[in-house]
Amino acid sequence: MPDQHQPELKRSVTPWGSFSWGYSDVGADIFVGLGLVLGAAAGASNVAFLFAGIVYVCIGLAYTELAATYPVAGGGQYFVMRGLGDFLGFIAGWAVLLDFTIDVTLFAWSCVDYLSEVIPYLLNPIHPWIHFIAVFGLIAGLCLLNVLGVRESTTFNGVVSALDVISETSILFFGFLFAFRPELLVHTMTTQWPSTFNLMLGASYAIISFVGLESISQAAQETQRPASIIPRTSIALILTILIYALAYSNLALGMVPWHPVPLDAMGHAQTLWQWLGNNDNNGKAVALLAKDVPYFGAIAALYVPILGAILLLISSNSGVFGSSRIAYAMANAKLLPSIFQRVHRRFRTPAISIIAFCAIAVIELIFAAWPSLDPGAAAFYAKFFHGEGGIGFLGDLYAFGAATSYSFVFLALIALRMNDPLSPRKFRIPLNIPLTYKGERVLFPVIGVLGFIGILSILVFTIITHDLGRIAGPAWLILGFIIFVVYRRKKGLPVFGSAPHDWRHEQIGILRDAGELELMDEYLARLKEREPAPVAEIG
Amino acid sequence: MIAINPIGALVAAAIVLAVVATLWWMLHPPISKVQEIARDAETELERMVGSIIVVFSENIASQHMMALAAKLAKGERSELLAIYVVSVPYSLPPDAEMTDEERRALDALGAAQAIAAKADINLRTETVKARSTKQAVLDIAKRERANLIVLGSFREGKYTGAPLSRTIEEIAAEAKCDVIIGVEGKHGNLLVDQVGFEQIEQGGKAP
Repeated sequence: MPDQHQPELKRSVTPWGSFSWGYSDVGADIFVGLGLVLGAAAGASNVAFLFAGIVYVCIGLAYTELAATYPVAGGGQYFVMRGLGDFLGFIAGWAVLLDFTIDVTLFAWSCVDYLSEVIPYLLNPIHPWIHFIAVFGLIAGLCLLNVLGVRESTTFNGVVSALDVISETSILFFGFLFAFRPELLVHTMTTQWPSTFNLMLGASYAIISFVGLESISQAAQETQRPASIIPRTSIALILTILIYALAYSNLALGMVPWHPVPLDAMGHAQTLWQWLGNNDNNGKAVALLAKDVPYFGAIAALYVPILGAILLLISSNSGVFGSSRIAYAMANAKLLPSIFQRVHRRFRTPAISIIAFCAIAVIELIFAAWPSLDPGAAAFYAKFFHGEGGIGFLGDLYAFGAATSYSFVFLALIALRMNDPLSPRKFRIPLNIPLTYKGERVLFPVIGVLGFIGILSILVFTIITHDLGRIAGPAWLILGFIIFVVYRRKKGLPVFGSAPHDWRHEQIGILRDAGELELMDEYLARLKEREPAPVAEIG
Repeated sequence: MIAINPIGALVAAAIVLAVVATLWWMLHPPISKVQEIARDAETELERMVGSIIVVFSENIASQHMMALAAKLAKGERSELLAIYVVSVPYSLPPDAEMTDEERRALDALGAAQAIAAKADINLRTETVKARSTKQAVLDIAKRERANLIVLGSFREGKYTGAPLSRTIEEIAAEAKCDVIIGVEGKHGNLLVDQVGFEQIEQGGKAP
C-alpha cells in the first residue's frame, strides 16, 4: 500500500486502457508461443492450446476476482501474501520477477526475429552475433529509457492494441475464409499426433501464450472504478486471447498455404506447420502464417512483422517496468531489501531495480544465445540439455515462472475465500460450495481447485520435459530464498511467519482509494454486524 | 482461383462476431450510482439551459450572472437572450420616453454583448417597457419558451437585510421554468472582473 503522505497514482486508465495494458502483454505471447507449440506438439497443437486455454480461463477468473476485490498494485504477489502469508507471498513474487525478466529477453528476442522479416540481415546464421547484439541493444535501450523515466503512454498502448486486434482478427478471418480445409486439419491431427512427452512439452509451451494477466492487476491502482471495470476487461482479454490461440493453432494445422512451403534443411518437403515450428521460424510464426493467407497475405507481409515487432517491444518493456514495480511493492511489504525502493534523485525512477533486473535479463540472454555463438557450448547443451537453447530455453523458464506463481494464486484464492469472506466481491468465480468456516458462511471455489490441479500439472510437465527449465527454474527460487532469509534475519522479521498486518483497515483504505464507495459501505456494514464498536476510521 | 470452404467461412464469421461482441460488452460496463447521479445532472443541465434569458432592470444588476450565463450557453450551445426591462410608472403613459433609463439599458445590454463576444456566442438583446418588471419577464419567458431565467441581485441593497427584492422573489416564485439568482458576496466580484465592467459601463464601449 502506498504511504498516505505520498501522492497517489491518478486513476486515469479507462476500460480500453485497462484492456490494452493486458493485451500489449498477453497479446504478444501468441507471436512467440505459436511456433514453439507447433514445433513440440505437432498435430495436437490445438489440443495443447485447448488444455492450456482451459487452465488459463481458470487463472483468468481467479485473477479477475482477486484484482476486483483487492485493486492494488502488486498483483499475484499481493494476493498470495495476503492469503498465504509473507513467505509464500515472497516465493510467488519472486517467480513473477523471473517471468518479468524472461519477458524482457524473450520478447526482445522475438521482436528481432519479426524485424528480420523486413531486415533479413538480423537473422543471419553465419553471423549469429548480429542477432545477439540486436537483442542486447534492445534490452539496454529499454533499460535506459526506463531509468530516464520515458515510458510509452496508455494512449500508445491503446492504439497499438486496437491495430493488433484488427490485424489478428483479419488474418484469422481471411485465413479461415480462403485457406482452411477441415479435412486437412483432421488428416494432420490423425497422422501427426505427437508422443505423450511431446504433448506435455507442447502444453507447457502453450501456457506461455497466456501469460500476462498480471498486467491488468498491476494497473488496478490506476484504473477507474477497478472493482467494476477489471472483471470486464479481464474476461474480455481472456476470451479474445483464447479465441486467437485456438483459431491460430487450428488454422496452422488445417491451412493450405498461398505459396509453396520451402524445403527443410535436409532438402525434404515439409508442411506449413512443420515450417512454422522449426527452430529458424518459431520466433516469427504469426508473420509467416499471415504471409501465406491468400490475397490478404500480400498486405499482411508488409505490416504484420512491423506491428508484431512493436507489440513485442511493448511487451518487453512491460517486463522492464513490471519487474521494477513488483520489486518496489515487495520491498514495501518488507519481502525484499529497501534498495529496490530507492528512487533516483534526478530521474525519479527506481533506477537500481531497473538496472538489476535488466542485468538478469542479459544473463538469461547469454544463456539462451550461447549455443548459437559458441560451437563448444552447442555441444555441451546438446549433451546435457537435448540441444535446448535460444527461444526454447527462454520459453522453459517463462513457463516455469508462470506455472509456479499461478499455482500460488489459486491457493491464495481459496485461502482468501475462507479467511476473508467479508471483503465484498463484485465478481465471484461461479461453481462454489457453501460451507461454514470459523463461524462464517464461506463459498469454497471448485474452479480454484480445478485450476490449481491444471496449473500444477503444467508445472509438472515443465519440470519433466524441459531439461534446462528444471534446473534453472528451481535454482532461481533457491537464490531468492537465500536472499529472503538473509534479509529477514537481518531485519529481525520472521522467515516463515508473517509480519503483523491490519488487513481490515487496509481493505477500507483500498476501497476508498479505488472510488468503490458502495463496496466500502458494504464492507463497513458487514464489519459492524460482527463488531458493533467502530471498526476503523474512514478518512 | 481459391475455393471457399463453407465450414471455413462459418468459422471466419464466428471469429469476427465473437471478438466484436466481446469487446463491445467490455466497453459498455454498468454505471455506478455516482455516475448515474452525474449523468442525470448533465442531462438536466442540457434541458435546463436550452434557452436562457438574462434579466436586467433598474433594480436588477445581472452583469456577473451574464458572464455565468455566457459560459453555460457556450458549453451547452444554448440560445441566449438578454432583456432590459424599463419600468414605466402608472403616472406616465405606457410608451412614455424614459431617456435616462433607456440609456442605462443600452449600457447594460452593450456590456452583455461584450461578454457574449468575448465568450464567442450569439446573443439577442431586447429592451422592454412594462408596468411590472415581474410580468414582463414572465411573459417573455413564456413567449421564448425559456428553460432558464438568470437574475442578478437587487441593485440597491447588497446586504440591507433583504438581499432579494420583491420583484426577484416574485419571478422566482411564479416562473414556470428554472430560475438562477446570483447574489454577490460581501466583496462583490462574482464570476466577472468588476473593474472591467465598470469601465465598460462608464465608457459605454465594447471591446
